[in-house]
Amino acid sequence: MSLQPVEFELLFGITQWAIVFGSFVVLFLLVSIATSFPLYGTAGPGRVLAGMLRGFKEFASPSPRRVYAIASLTFKESIRKKALLVFVVFAVLFMFASWFMASPSDRPDMQVRNYVAFVFIAINMLVLPVVLLLSCWGLPEDIRIRSLHTVVTKPVRRNEVVLGRMLGFASVGTMILLIMSTVGFIWIQRQVSDNVDLFCRVPVYAVAGPEGVKFLDRSGNPSVDRDGNPAKGVNVGDIVETRSFIEGGTRAAGVWTFPLDEQADTLKLESRFEAFRTFKGDMNRSIRVRYVLVNEEKSLKVPLPTFEVDEFGTNEMDLARKQTFTDEQTLEKKEVDIYDDLAVPSEDGRFGSLVVQVQCLDRAQYLGVSRGDFFIRLPDRSFTTGYIKAVIGVWLKVLIIVMSGVTASCFVKWPVATFLSFKVIVIGQVARGFLDKVLSGKQAGGGAAESVYRLLTHMNDTTVLPANPLTSSIQLFDHGLQHLLWMVKFMIPDLRSFGMSDWVARGFDVPWGGVMLPSIAITVGYFLPCVLLGYFSLSMRELEAK
Amino acid sequence: MNNLTSRQRKTTCIVGILVLLVPIVILGMPAGDQTEASGGVLARLRTEHDLGESDLGQIDPTSATMNLVLLGLRGVAVNMLRMDLDHYKNTKNWAELRATTDAVITLQPHYIEVWRFLSWNMAYNVSAEWDAVPDRYYWVKEGGKFSQQGTRRNSEVPELYWETGRIWGQKIGRSDEWKYFRKYFNPDKYEDYEGSVDTAINGEQKDNYLVAKDWFADANVAEDARVQHIMMRALFRSYPARAQLDYADALQREGKFDGITVTAWQNSFNEWTQDYGKMPFKAPECVLYMEANEDDVRQMASDNKVDERIVQKWLKHYQHTTNYRYWRSRSHSESQPETGDAHKFIYEGEQLYKQGELADALSTLTRGMGLYATILEAHPELSSEDLTAEEGMWAVLLWQKILELQQKPIPESFALRDLWERHQGLLPELEQRFNRLGL
Repeated sequence: MSLQPVEFELLFGITQWAIVFGSFVVLFLLVSIATSFPLYGTAGPGRVLAGMLRGFKEFASPSPRRVYAIASLTFKESIRKKALLVFVVFAVLFMFASWFMASPSDRPDMQVRNYVAFVFIAINMLVLPVVLLLSCWGLPEDIRIRSLHTVVTKPVRRNEVVLGRMLGFASVGTMILLIMSTVGFIWIQRQVSDNVDLFCRVPVYAVAGPEGVKFLDRSGNPSVDRDGNPAKGVNVGDIVETRSFIEGGTRAAGVWTFPLDEQADTLKLESRFEAFRTFKGDMNRSIRVRYVLVNEEKSLKVPLPTFEVDEFGTNEMDLARKQTFTDEQTLEKKEVDIYDDLAVPSEDGRFGSLVVQVQCLDRAQYLGVSRGDFFIRLPDRSFTTGYIKAVIGVWLKVLIIVMSGVTASCFVKWPVATFLSFKVIVIGQVARGFLDKVLSGKQAGGGAAESVYRLLTHMNDTTVLPANPLTSSIQLFDHGLQHLLWMVKFMIPDLRSFGMSDWVARGFDVPWGGVMLPSIAITVGYFLPCVLLGYFSLSMRELEAK
Repeated sequence: MNNLTSRQRKTTCIVGILVLLVPIVILGMPAGDQTEASGGVLARLRTEHDLGESDLGQIDPTSATMNLVLLGLRGVAVNMLRMDLDHYKNTKNWAELRATTDAVITLQPHYIEVWRFLSWNMAYNVSAEWDAVPDRYYWVKEGGKFSQQGTRRNSEVPELYWETGRIWGQKIGRSDEWKYFRKYFNPDKYEDYEGSVDTAINGEQKDNYLVAKDWFADANVAEDARVQHIMMRALFRSYPARAQLDYADALQREGKFDGITVTAWQNSFNEWTQDYGKMPFKAPECVLYMEANEDDVRQMASDNKVDERIVQKWLKHYQHTTNYRYWRSRSHSESQPETGDAHKFIYEGEQLYKQGELADALSTLTRGMGLYATILEAHPELSSEDLTAEEGMWAVLLWQKILELQQKPIPESFALRDLWERHQGLLPELEQRFNRLGL
């Protein structure tokens, strides 16, 4: 299955962040003021506001020297705690890795994919737990052995303690990551056979939104569902419906609209479609496909040479800027320029956009397509570039874990902090899709209470619940839980975009807009709330209470 | 304990360690050699029940290391990998699927059903997902090689030899793509195909069915020592001889009707009637073999001390289950030169029809049909079998289509008329095949 481009709007993300962060600050303030009344009477709100003001003042003027001092001490402490022993496991893994890996006679794409995946799984599995444990154990251990007492009595502010700790643990994680990724890079280069090229494709996918990829039905009209909404192609019964199918030998087509941001003498089109046969036909020949460049306004349809699909492989076609073709209506020979004649004026690309129809030519056979299957391929980048980006993805994850661990350790003891941070990673990376499904109501079987009810009554998840007071109250309860879950969703970072190695493993450069940018934005977005929460928690914490 | 001095405490600990050491040595002492009396209790039990890694097959240090590293979490890890495997199949991520397959088997090297399922999965399910025939063949090979690997790791298990034989025999030789697969498998025998043989699966450059036959023979050797659990024993033991029959049949399907095919059928007859036919099987009430005349039945009844009717009852049952009499008659009739001629004329008639040589096609088919009818008269039991009936019906259908094109009436009487009337149920399928070929 091709990788699917992800869309991310930075402005929307920042707005969302501001709303959520602002709401939490206001909520925190209100709760603090409310709880200050029973403790300090009418002077309570004043003390809360004064405390907050002091906090913001301290934040406004942190001392880099003190932060650096704490960070360097944290770094030394981590080394003293034998964090670097992780390299022993790493060395053992890489010494024997080739035993577990497929043989060099495997297909080239398999080799690269397996080796890259192995390196990043190994790095993730070794670096992340070490960083998690270090960051969750640090402050609680300082409090337990009372070494924090000597620190806080010095002219060190608590925000500097939090910042210093974060910086120190992040440095340890960064150092381990750098060494491991360098070794991993050399290992991949040595393992991959000489006849395999390592490179990173730079794809230009169809424009975002429903306009990017549309479908025409067998009569050549825009494909619509029963309600008249835009629909995809044919469903051939695949369990995963990422791909939609175009019926062959008819006017059915998939229509891609690509943004044109650069002018070049040659455009490279690359696709990786799937073939689906309803009968065997000529087995020795694959399904035939053709691209048609379209400009509806100028009534231009430029058919490109037909080719046979290399299923699960790549179909590449170089497209010269000047195209000579025979008009299928008038049978006249014509010449067109892609940028001057065929490009459709649009805001998506600096030079407009290029509309390409994909047709399957074999009757009663189908062509499986998805948005990520077809793209314009810009000049390749080096494998090193993609690899570094993938390492940055792991590094950003390290930062998130450090921030989460240090923050949690400011208000709970280390076992709870470890558990909390671990959960943040698991939900953020593995269960995020499930969380979205539950919140969108698409998860069969309902919420937590409804699931328990179904389990106990042996009712499958698609059967309609009987209407009675019990089921009504169960659903009401789940509704309430769902609101809580909705809030949790905004507190836990979405780490799915951080796994960038998959792109490199499949020979692609890591896209900036859909993958790198959201990962960086999420990391930056969590920094301020984490430091603030850590600071106020540490300020309010009774350090004598171990 | 607090009243003891440090020396006393240490001495107590040392004595305790020494006392505990005795049962550990008795239980866990490793075996010094392969004899059952060697080593501790556990080592002796392991040897007695063939549970040692070296008893099960080739030792894989990777697998042993992985199982050690996972401590007690092997089951959990395997479950997760199996879920990944399903996910990769559904999302068509074949590279990941292949790597995960290896990971699963590393953790479960002696779980036979896992070997069977995963090899089947690659050879049959994954290969069918690909469009290009060479890609499909690649995955069939992956499945077969994986199964071969399974036999090396579990050398005592007859099922895995049989599965390997099935992939090299049935999958290569009976798929829709069999014409291409057989060429890829043994390129040297095909002048129109230039390729190299994969020595990992066919080092001796044999026909796929003959390679399968070797694997089935190995399965039978393994079955002598260990019971298989996939099918009735009489069926399981028939596979080497069946592979020989399939080999001869495949040569015929490829349009080879010369000496090599006749020899292949003669060998098939001998192996079916002598090697397999004389193999003793233990039926519920007697021991019997299937190549038996009246004297043999009498002798078996006497040996088993039962009534002749009981032997006849079980003999009929076994022959029916294994389709013994059909394959006997078929291999016998195909060993005759005139049967080869009948097939040859029908095949050549079809080729001539495809080339538009209608007159020659008609006369060739007429000769083929005549010979075919003679064979069916000599071996009437063959006409009730689908494969035989299908070939005869196909010949008549082509013959009739030619007559229609030549605007001639179809005669009242013609060779194979009985067969044609008796098997009208096959006609829609044959018509479909005719239309699909675009003839």
